[in-house]
Amino acid sequence: MKHSVNRPPTPDAAEDQGKEPPLQEIINVKLIESGEKERLMELLRERLIDCGWKDEMKALCRAHVKKKGRNNVTVDDLVHLITPKGRASVPDSVKAELLQRIRTFLMSAAL
Amino acid sequence: MSGPNEDKNTQLSSHFFGDLLDSIIVDVASECHRIAKLGLDRNLEEEEEEMRLSVQARARVADPSNSSETNTKYVVDIFGQTHPSIATEIFECMNCGRSIAAGRFAPHLEKCMGKGRKARLKVTRSSTAAQNRYSRGSPVSAYSPYSNSTSTNRLSNGTPSVAGEEYSNGTYEEPWNKT
Repeated sequence: MKHSVNRPPTPDAAEDQGKEPPLQEIINVKLIESGEKERLMELLRERLIDCGWKDEMKALCRAHVKKKGRNNVTVDDLVHLITPKGRASVPDSVKAELLQRIRTFLMSAAL
Repeated sequence: MSGPNEDKNTQLSSHFFGDLLDSIIVDVASECHRIAKLGLDRNLEEEEEEMRLSVQARARVADPSNSSETNTKYVVDIFGQTHPSIATEIFECMNCGRSIAAGRFAPHLEKCMGKGRKARLKVTRSSTAAQNRYSRGSPVSAYSPYSNSTSTNRLSNGTPSVAGEEYSNGTYEEPWNKT
């Protein structure tokens, strides 16, 4: 799957509350509209594949499926399974690279 | 480079990084789920089972005592059926009307319709005199019953050659004409 399953909440939701959309939302919208979010995702995906992170996660999933039986596994199960390990096992270099790029974007989109 | 701004920046960056990572994690989980449900990625037990079966099959095939000649009658196919090496179903030859075994049909047809001197003689004896003149005159004539490639086409059109007479009634089926 190439595209993110998570959709950011539409700006209307924030406006209905009667206050300024939080900074996070504004930046999120800018990220998406400029296409930078997609680029960052692709970059992160590529890095995670190259360093073997994706294979580790797939191995975890496979082991879980084998244990539970393939008809008893939901996407939710797998997400909850690999989220903690996945977050913890991103290589520092990859994390640093992405953070740097995000920070650059934030500064260029400075409000 | 003010302190609080830097912190805010860092915080925001981390937030977005986490966002990206979560999306990717969901993608990976979804992919693994799909592979598991579709059975695209073999489980270890299944693999072991298949390995065992394939080793068994290979042993049976490679076994030198199973010579193909002696054992074709006893070899079982994937549906569990055995069949003799020469097909035994019986058909009627549309040319001469004899009952022929399916496995012997091709050689029979060769002699019956085709290449041999004997076949030619057999046909001309029973055909009309006019046809004889045509067929002896040009080897590739339309009425020649013994040039195999043209005759098969002609016969289906019902031209008045020996075998063709049967077809002009439109009753005869030619299983060997259909490719």
